[in-house]
Amino acid sequence: MAHELPYIAAIDEAIKLEMERDPTVLYFGQNMATTENEDFVTSFGHDRVRVTPISETAEIGIATGAAMAGYRPVVELYMAEFMLVAMDQVINEAPRFRYMSGGQVKVPLVLKAGYGFTAGWAGQHTGTLGALFMGVPGLKVAVPSTAADAKGLMATAIRDDNPVVYLHHYLLTLEHGEVPDGEHLVPFGEAAVRRTGGDVTIVGTGWTVGKALAAAERLAEEGIEAEVIDPRTLAPLDLDTILESVEKTGHLVLVDQAPRHSSVAAVIAGDVAEHGFGSLKAPIRLVTALDTTVPYSEPLEAYVLPDEAKVVDAVRKTLQTVSA
Amino acid sequence: MTDTPDRDRLIWMFTQMLRIREFEEAVKRTFIDHPGVIRGHTHLADGAEASIVGSLAAIRPGDQVLSTYRCHGYPITLGTDTKAMMAEIYGRRDGLCKGLGGSMHLVDVDRGFLGTSGIVAAGIPHAAGVAYAAQIRGEGQVVLSFFGDGASKQGAFHETLNIASLWKLPVVFVMENNGYNVHTRSEQEDANAAAGEPLAVKAKAYSMPGVTVDGGDPVLVHQTVGAAVDRARAGEGPTLVESGVYRLSAHGNIIAPPGVPLHFPEHEAIEKFGAPEEYEAALRGDPVPRFRGRLVTDGVMTAEEADRIAGDVRREVAAAVEFGLASPFPELESAREHVYA
Amino acid sequence: MRPDTARRLLETMWRIRRFEERVAKLKRQNEVHGLVHLSIGQEAVAAAVCCRLRDDDAVYSGHRAHGHAIAKGAPLERVLAELMGRADGLCQGLGGSMHLVDVEHGLLGATGVVGGNVPIAVGSALAARLRGTDQVTVVFFGDGAAQAGHFTEAVNLARLWALPVVLVCENNGFAEFTPRSAHTTIERVSDAVAPFGFERDTVDGNDVEAVWDTFGRFLEQARAGRGPLLLECLTHRLRGHYEGDAEAYRAAITADEWQQKDPILRFQRRALLAGWIDEADAAAIEREAVAAVAAAERFASASPFPSPELAARMTYT
Repeated sequence: MAHELPYIAAIDEAIKLEMERDPTVLYFGQNMATTENEDFVTSFGHDRVRVTPISETAEIGIATGAAMAGYRPVVELYMAEFMLVAMDQVINEAPRFRYMSGGQVKVPLVLKAGYGFTAGWAGQHTGTLGALFMGVPGLKVAVPSTAADAKGLMATAIRDDNPVVYLHHYLLTLEHGEVPDGEHLVPFGEAAVRRTGGDVTIVGTGWTVGKALAAAERLAEEGIEAEVIDPRTLAPLDLDTILESVEKTGHLVLVDQAPRHSSVAAVIAGDVAEHGFGSLKAPIRLVTALDTTVPYSEPLEAYVLPDEAKVVDAVRKTLQTVSA
Repeated sequence: MTDTPDRDRLIWMFTQMLRIREFEEAVKRTFIDHPGVIRGHTHLADGAEASIVGSLAAIRPGDQVLSTYRCHGYPITLGTDTKAMMAEIYGRRDGLCKGLGGSMHLVDVDRGFLGTSGIVAAGIPHAAGVAYAAQIRGEGQVVLSFFGDGASKQGAFHETLNIASLWKLPVVFVMENNGYNVHTRSEQEDANAAAGEPLAVKAKAYSMPGVTVDGGDPVLVHQTVGAAVDRARAGEGPTLVESGVYRLSAHGNIIAPPGVPLHFPEHEAIEKFGAPEEYEAALRGDPVPRFRGRLVTDGVMTAEEADRIAGDVRREVAAAVEFGLASPFPELESAREHVYA
Repeated sequence: MRPDTARRLLETMWRIRRFEERVAKLKRQNEVHGLVHLSIGQEAVAAAVCCRLRDDDAVYSGHRAHGHAIAKGAPLERVLAELMGRADGLCQGLGGSMHLVDVEHGLLGATGVVGGNVPIAVGSALAARLRGTDQVTVVFFGDGAAQAGHFTEAVNLARLWALPVVLVCENNGFAEFTPRSAHTTIERVSDAVAPFGFERDTVDGNDVEAVWDTFGRFLEQARAGRGPLLLECLTHRLRGHYEGDAEAYRAAITADEWQQKDPILRFQRRALLAGWIDEADAAAIEREAVAAVAAAERFASASPFPSPELAARMTYT
C-alpha cells in the first residue's frame, strides 16, 4: 500500500521509521529540536535529537566519532555548500578511517544536505556538488529524484555501515509522489529506468530527471523515443544499466545541473566512452550548467542552467551525427 | 582517583614511560639501521611520556582515547601489542592495521584507542562524538581527546569545545603544549602565547575549567587529568587540561621524495631557531630519567629493579623490531579490502 | 552630539527602514526573487557605525546586508535594482541580496555563509596595515557567527597581528530560527572573545547614540593602529530570519514594546528633546526617505534585465 507525500516529508518519514526501528540512530543539526513540540523531539527525546550551533566541522566530526563508537548519526546540514567549510571531515576523515584502520572501525553516518535551489538563492546557496563526493572511496552518494526514492534511499543510507552523503534536491521539495507505506528500502547501486525508448538514452539526476522526461515527451511528438535513466546513487554507480541502454540506442545525452567539469555527467561520459564505445553511433553529449557561479537575476539564472529545450536540442544534434 | 598512586601503580607508570621511550628510539634507529623500511612521515613522543602515561593512568577500562598522528605512546600504554605496532609502522601484513594505516593511523579498538587523524585538530570533534555516544549509553564512560597546542588555532577546536560544554559531554581535552607547531613557535602563531599567557586561558570562552600542569611529572598529570575525568564521569562536562611537555625529537622525520634517505633532523630549537640551550635544558629535564631517579630516591624501587625493567623493555622492543622486519608485505589485493564496511 | 550628526543618523535610519519595508512588499509581489533577510529593527547599528566611516574604510557584511550597504553610501536605487535582478544593480544583477558589493563606497562584500566574512575582513585589515594607511575595516556579523570555527581562527590572527579591524556583532539573540542558548553557554559575544584580551564592549544596539559614541572610541583606536576591537550591539530583528519565515519559534513583540524599543522612534524622541531637530524636521526626514525609496523603485523597475551573455562573461578577469 502507498500514500501520497511531498518529497521532503518522505525523507522525514524514512528518518523517523529508522529511528523507531533502531535506537542507535541519531539526528542532529542546526535549527532543529529547539522546541518541545517538534515531532522528532517528542518521539525520541533530546539525547537522540539535538540542535547544534553553526559548526559544521564539529557537527560532522562529532557524527564521525559517535559512529565509530556504535551509533548511527544523521546530520542535517541543509545545504551542500555548508559542507564545504568542513570538507576535511567529509572527504579526508569519515570515509578513510575504516580503510586506514585495516577494517577495525566503521563509520555509519548520513550527511543530509539539500542542493540546486535555483530560486534566486544566488551564488553561494545554489550549487550542485554531487560530483565532488562521487569519487571518494569509502563514501557513498545518494541523489533521489522522487518522493518514493527519497524515502527508500534515506532508509538505506541509514542502514548502510558507511558514510553516505544524501543530497536532496531543493526544487523537488514539494513534489508529491506515491510513497510505499511502512518500511521501504531502495538499494544503492541500482538505477531506475524512468521511461523506455529505443532511439536515445538520456541520463539525469535529481531535478534534471524531470527535465529529461519533459524533453522526452516533446521528442516523442517528433517520433523520437528516448529512454530516461535515473542512477539514484552516484556512488555506487550503476553503470551497467546505462551501458545496456546505450547498447540498445547507440546515443547518449547526459544532463547535469553542475558546470561541466564538476558534473556527474562528465564522469559517466568517461565511463561510457571507455566501456561502451562500441555501442555508440555518435559522440556523447553533455547538457550541463555554464561555467559560471550561479547568477542571482532570474533570467540569467535560467540562462546558465540546463532546461528542457537544451536537452531536446542535444538529442537532435546527437541523432543528426552520422557515424563514420 | 586523584589519590597518590600506590607503589605498583608508580612502577607501572615508570614501566610504560620506559616502553614508550624505548619504542620511539627504536623507531628512530630504524631510519639509520634499516633505511627504507619506514616510509612517509613519522612523529615521535619521546619527551611526552610522563604526560601520556599520567593521563592514561587516570582512566579505566571502557573509557576511550583518541589522539593525533603523534600516536605511538597511547596504544603502548593501553596494552597494544608492540610487535603489531612496529609491523604497522613498517607497513607489513601483520601490522595493527594490516599495513593500511602506518605510523600516523594506529587503531586498537579493543583497548579503547579509537584512532587518530593526520589532520591537526580533526580528531577533536571525533572525540566529542565518541563522548556523545557515551553520554547516551549512560554507562559512565569518559573519553580523552589528545591534541597539540597547534590544534587550538583550528576552527574544529573552537566549535567542539563550545558544543562539548553546552552538552556537558564526558570528555577531557588534553592539550599537549610542546611549544611548537611543526617548526613554528607558539608565540609566533598564538595570540595568548604571544602575550605570555598559558593556553589554558582559552577555556574561558567555553565555560569549562582550564588547567595548566607540568607534563613532565606523571603523578601531577595523573592528579590533574584524574580530577577532570571525575568531573566528566559525574556528568559535569569537559575540562581543558594544558600539559606542558617538550618533545625531544624534531617534529618528524624529514619529508623527501622517494630515493632520498629519510632521517630525523635536529630539533627545531637547534636547527632553525639557534637556541641549543633551550634543547639542552629540556634534555636535563627529561621526564624519564627524572621519574626513575625520583622513584629510586623515594624507595619505591631499587636501581636494580629499574635496570631489570629496562632490560625487559629493551628485549620487548627488540622483539618488536625483529617481528616487524620479518613480517611479509601484505598481499597486493588486500589494498582493495576495507574500503566499505 | 551635533544637530547635523543627529539629522544624518535619522535620515540614514529612515532610509533603511522605508527601503526594507518596500523590499518586503516587492518580495510579496515577486519583484524581488529569492532569499531576502531584512534589517528592520537593526538600523541604529548600521547607521551609527557606517556614518562614522570614510569611503576608503572597508565594510564587510553578511546575509543581512541591506542596511549596511545603504548606510555605507551605496545608492538606494542601485541596491534596489540589484535586489530586483536588473542590469543597473550594484552587481549587474549577478549577486543579489546576500552578495552586495559597492567598491566605490567601500562596501567590499557580503557573504551568505555565516561568519565567512570575518577572515576576509581580517585580510582587508592586513592590506591596510601593509599599505601603511589609517584605513579601518569593519565586519558586521550576527551572534550565530561567533560559534563558527573560522570566526575564532580569524580573531586569533587579528589579535596576534594587531590589525585595524572592528568586529561589530549585531546580537539579536537568534541565529536563524534558534535562540542563543541553543548555541553556546556564553551569553555575550564579547565574553566569547575574552581570552584574547583585546578591547571589547556590549551596548544597547537600539540606542543609536550609544553605538555612535562607543564606535567612535573604537574607530579612533583602530585608526591609530590599535586593533582588533569588538563591539557587540544588542538589538532586535523585527521580522523573521528571512522574508517568508513564519517565526513559530518566538513570541511576537507587542506594539507597545516595539514603540519603546524601535531605534528610530527612540532616537527621534531623544533628538526632539535635545533640540537637535524639531517636529517639522522629523516629519520632513521621514518624507524624504519615502520619496527616495519611491524614486529608487521607479529607477529599478525601469532598469532592464541583464543580458544572458553577461552571465557567461564574469567568471574570470
